[in-house]
Amino acid sequence: MKINPILQKDIKTKLRGWRSVILICSYVTLLIFILLIYFVGNDLIYSYTMPSFNPRVAIGGYNLLITFQFALLYLAVPAIIATSISSERERQTLDLMLVTKTPAREIIAGKILVSIAHILLLLIASMPVVGVVFFFGGIGFPDLLKLIFFYILTSLFVASSGVFFSTIFKRNIVSIITTYIFLGLMTFGPFLGFFAYSLLNQMTFSPTYRSIALSLFPSPVFGFLSFYFSGTSHYDIFGSYYGHGLFSSIAYEFEVLIASETGLLRYMQPWIVNGIFSVLFSLLLILLSSAALNPVRRKK
Amino acid sequence: MLHVENLTKRYNGTLAVDRLNMDIPEGEIYGFVGANGAGKTTTMRIIAGLLAPSSGKVFIGGIDVFKEPLEVKKHIGYMPDFFGVYDDLKVYEYMDFYAGLYGISKQKSRGLTDSLLELVRLTNKKDAYVDTLSRGMKQRLCLARSLIHDPEFLILDEPASGLDPRARVEMTEILKELRSLGKTILISSHILHELSELCTSIGIIDAGKLIASGSVQDILEKMSHANQVKIRVSSKEEEAVKILMEIPGIGSISSVVGVIDVNMEGGDEACVRVLKTLVERDIPVVSFQPVESSLETVFMQLTKGEEQ
Ligand SMILES: Nc1ncnc2c1ncn2[C@@H]1O[C@H](COP(=O)(O)OP(=O)(O)O)[C@@H](O)[C@H]1O
Ligand SMILES: [Mg+2]
Repeated sequence: MKINPILQKDIKTKLRGWRSVILICSYVTLLIFILLIYFVGNDLIYSYTMPSFNPRVAIGGYNLLITFQFALLYLAVPAIIATSISSERERQTLDLMLVTKTPAREIIAGKILVSIAHILLLLIASMPVVGVVFFFGGIGFPDLLKLIFFYILTSLFVASSGVFFSTIFKRNIVSIITTYIFLGLMTFGPFLGFFAYSLLNQMTFSPTYRSIALSLFPSPVFGFLSFYFSGTSHYDIFGSYYGHGLFSSIAYEFEVLIASETGLLRYMQPWIVNGIFSVLFSLLLILLSSAALNPVRRKK
Repeated sequence: MLHVENLTKRYNGTLAVDRLNMDIPEGEIYGFVGANGAGKTTTMRIIAGLLAPSSGKVFIGGIDVFKEPLEVKKHIGYMPDFFGVYDDLKVYEYMDFYAGLYGISKQKSRGLTDSLLELVRLTNKKDAYVDTLSRGMKQRLCLARSLIHDPEFLILDEPASGLDPRARVEMTEILKELRSLGKTILISSHILHELSELCTSIGIIDAGKLIASGSVQDILEKMSHANQVKIRVSSKEEEAVKILMEIPGIGSISSVVGVIDVNMEGGDEACVRVLKTLVERDIPVVSFQPVESSLETVFMQLTKGEEQ
């Protein structure tokens, strides 16, 4: 199989020297550090009821870790991708690439692959840490794979948004700012709209999973809710789910709502709904970016 | 090889290229000359498929550049006037990268890279980082890059600009080698003499219009009715100037310690008449030398009036 030359070049240059090794090591250290702090804090709180390791705490730690990774993905991918085309333009290397027989869409795809590869590298490097929690907390291996798959879909969504703005805006800085603003709107906009609606219709408002999915589907945070473990199904002997923090309680609410749906929707968990949207929307953005990059159709 | 038909490019209001027609047969080295801002880069980027024209057609090897852009790109090598390099790549990795973009396999690209680096005299820099190269070397590397897929047609936009005289000479030597390899080349410059010994044909562009085009010889002949003569006299310089001013068809006259530069219209007969008049009037003429109209003066004459 032919590897995309842009990805190939990036792998070659980024993995050279110690920079990336240091980056990965500090990232993993940071994850371990966060986890330790969390465990130390919670062990102190729960130690009188549970002197040994508390699986519920492990689940809390897992939720915390994956949230951190998700936030990092959201912040890091735009930083890598939002300058991908505009920096080639600023560096005056874009024409050299466009004059080759590589079509614009492959250039765009290469740039997206690069940013996904970066995230994948960090994810894989962090797997041992997440694995510890997985080991103690009873989270299944398929859950982890599902999570990584969703991370990739979200990276695709974030990266295609970034590459799109990087293509249509000439300057790096404009492209970066627009990308973050756009992602902020796509991510939190649906939630704000949803909450505003629920506040205005407080009396009659009783959301079903269908109505929630229909209003929140563009937001990767909605999809990500699938991955918070309520822990209730495994560990409800330890008490009510409200003790597990906001994320777990939201996850629990979702489980209940989804379970009360009928038909196909019963199987369409948030991550699937949002994942499908991410893929379709990304394809659209890639098409638009390629068209914008294509010199002969390009204005100016 | 290249056929350009009524090419026009407008940038919101300003006309950068104005109904330009151009034909370059296979094997020609076509010098594309014009002052800065004349429209050379715009024309070449359109030909390379990097810019959409407002109207007009471009064919390379019979292929329509705007209908089959990817097909055409296999046949053209392009070197822009300004370009950047990736600073974190070594010279051979740089070549590998572009080979990859042309779909050339790794094994093949190594062999090609070696021979191209030899052509542009960078063999000993193979393992150097691209950003440590001098400007002249970068320019040569960029030329090697444009040749990686062995294109038949080269578009070189001011390949010698910004180079010191030595690097210029090196670049010219390399281009001569390319000529002997049978490449068809479209090369631009705002300095004419850079191209005169290299090119087989010349086109002069001014304010987006191709104002003269043809073989180097043709262009010179077009201008042969305008002559410049250097006259040296041993004395009576002022009298000589006075006599010259009376002769019809004489343009500007300037004299500096015994040497009089005269611009005049008409061909050889006019020269004979002027010399005869001077001798008959007892002016001690030491030498009377028609100045070969160089491409440079032709260029200045063709584009005069636009400068001010
Ligand atoms: N991107 C652009 N936007 C607007 N005007 C441009 C642009 N590029 C070139 N021009 C104008 O087009 C004319 C031709 O420029 P160019 O082709 O670069 O000339 P040359 O290469 O001969 O120096 C100039 O007047 C220039 O100002
Ligand atoms: Mg130019």
